[in-house]
Amino acid sequence: MGKTFKVLAIPYQIWLYILVFVPLIAMVLIAVSNYDSSVPLNQINISLNHWSILVQRQNMIAFRNSVVFAVLTTLISFVLGYFAAYHIFQSKFKNKFIILTIVILPMWSNLILRVDALNNIFSQNNIISSIIGFSPFGNITGKPIAILIGLVFTYLPFMILPVYTALEKIDYALQEAALDLGLTPFKKFWKVIFPLSIKGVVTGSIMVFLPTLAGFAIPKILGKGNFLFIGNVIENKLLSSTIFYNHGSLLAVVILVFILGSILLLTRFDKEGETLL
Amino acid sequence: MNKKPLIELINVTKSYDGEKVVDNLNLTIYENEFVTLLGPSGCGKTTTLRMIGGFVQPDDGQIIINGKIFNDLPPYARPIHTVFQRYALFPHLNVLENVAFGLRNRNQEYLTNFFGQQEIDRLYKEANPTHEKKNARALHKVIQKMIDKAAADALALVKLTGFENRKIDQISGGQQQRVALARAIVNKPQILLLDEPLAALDLKLRQNMQYELKEMQTKLGITFIFVTHDQEEAMTMSDRIVVMRSGLIQQLGTPKSIYNEPVNRYVANFIGETNIFPGTYVKKDLVNFLGVDFKSQGYNFENNEAVDVVIRPEDFDVVDLEKAKLVGKVTFSLFKGVHNELDVDINGVKVMVNTYETYEVGQSIGLSVDPYEIHMMKVENNG
Repeated sequence: MGKTFKVLAIPYQIWLYILVFVPLIAMVLIAVSNYDSSVPLNQINISLNHWSILVQRQNMIAFRNSVVFAVLTTLISFVLGYFAAYHIFQSKFKNKFIILTIVILPMWSNLILRVDALNNIFSQNNIISSIIGFSPFGNITGKPIAILIGLVFTYLPFMILPVYTALEKIDYALQEAALDLGLTPFKKFWKVIFPLSIKGVVTGSIMVFLPTLAGFAIPKILGKGNFLFIGNVIENKLLSSTIFYNHGSLLAVVILVFILGSILLLTRFDKEGETLL
Repeated sequence: MNKKPLIELINVTKSYDGEKVVDNLNLTIYENEFVTLLGPSGCGKTTTLRMIGGFVQPDDGQIIINGKIFNDLPPYARPIHTVFQRYALFPHLNVLENVAFGLRNRNQEYLTNFFGQQEIDRLYKEANPTHEKKNARALHKVIQKMIDKAAADALALVKLTGFENRKIDQISGGQQQRVALARAIVNKPQILLLDEPLAALDLKLRQNMQYELKEMQTKLGITFIFVTHDQEEAMTMSDRIVVMRSGLIQQLGTPKSIYNEPVNRYVANFIGETNIFPGTYVKKDLVNFLGVDFKSQGYNFENNEAVDVVIRPEDFDVVDLEKAKLVGKVTFSLFKGVHNELDVDINGVKVMVNTYETYEVGQSIGLSVDPYEIHMMKVENNG
């Protein structure tokens, strides 16, 4: 039995090595080389000259935009997501699975499609304004608020699900015990429920923070090119007539460092990794 | 009656989905009493406890504590604490923080009442001899210290000194049970509710805890209301036992009276093993069962009324065959350490007998019963 599973795990191991580890190492190596599409393969050398792009004004702004929007998205998702998860958790509704399904329902359609639809609704002339005669969101597309709404809209489920899972794991008897020991319902929440759900919050925050930090589609579509994110810079490096593999790799490595930092943070809160879905 | 009623339940009724779980319950519990609610699962004992604790509101009737109606008071406003069935300890806190949890989350006013203004003043002076006026932060510090000491004392009482900094998942089930107990008694409740707190412990530990609980109750002077389905547990600890069935109190009395004088078949069967024979109350002090007339004492029924006769296995005396009122054949014998359990067949009726002597299967033995060991109950239709 154990042997069968071992054999069945091999395809994934191969996948992991060839399609994850090897490219990852290649990316790190390219980041310290002079490799771009104009350099013949036999002239690739170690080079740190291009590291100056890290302090280029345009790229610094892109980094700042990414981090600011990622932090804001995470905070907003935390507030909205915690309320939503807590509400589902507290509700007497029998089939909570259905509510959770509704939460992840948007993910069943393509991300780009959804964001494009949002972009349409956010602009002056859209399908809704032709029905009701005015545009409910005005013409916010291209503005920061449009990007923020788009990011929260897309990544909120990633906050709700782990928080809900963490809340659901809290033994109801603990809540009764808190009341029994003289806590008011408000104090009960802050002293018992919230501390016990913090793992879910950390997991959810990382699951929202990482894709927002590295993403490029949403700011590109909803920002109308007004806001450059680090993901867009990388994309541009790889789409230009000379493909700057080394530039793109370097910026991607920086994001990777952010990711590793967040995972370290996660393991500090959640040693067993139990709330990671 | 010089005892003061502490809790009075008057016509308390609670239904779930139209089914009466607790039906018109009337019960008075006095100060300093160890009362056990005993019954099989689903008899309403836990619901009754939860209503006293404030987790469930009764549909009808009144819950009076200290002369005040408590029906709608939330749990946190009651002078009651609960030891939960699965302990419900907080996993994010260590042992000491669990025990101190209740007090640490009370407001200043409550804590001042709790520790007493004088004692706080005295300790404040001791810690801050130079202060002319009280400083809120220093006062807070003094009170926190008092809480820590109270928690440490409670842990000492349950013999857990030295475990203060352990995590909840780093201690055994028995120790968790003690922490749960300490967490409740540190608040000096007037009433302690215990919801089958020993159910998850192994036999030996359970027996030890039974004695310790009883001892603690006597020492602390707290009223304990204990819920269990284990009749032996109830017998060992209780001052009074309330035997419940389908939301109704079947019998209320001391362990002895319930054991010796069960009011009906249900109670008799539930409280230990027993023999119940259909019989006839011939006339005063004479009862006929198993085809033989026996002398009896102290029951008044109609002459020739059908009664149920209850005789505990240990109340049968094994006597010489010629002196015996009943003669039967041993069909089963089991050595139980202190005594032997016998099944004796008397004209086709199986009788359980406990005796210190050993008898072989197949042997004929004679039995007799003393008049005061014969207990009679009115015949019930629903049995």
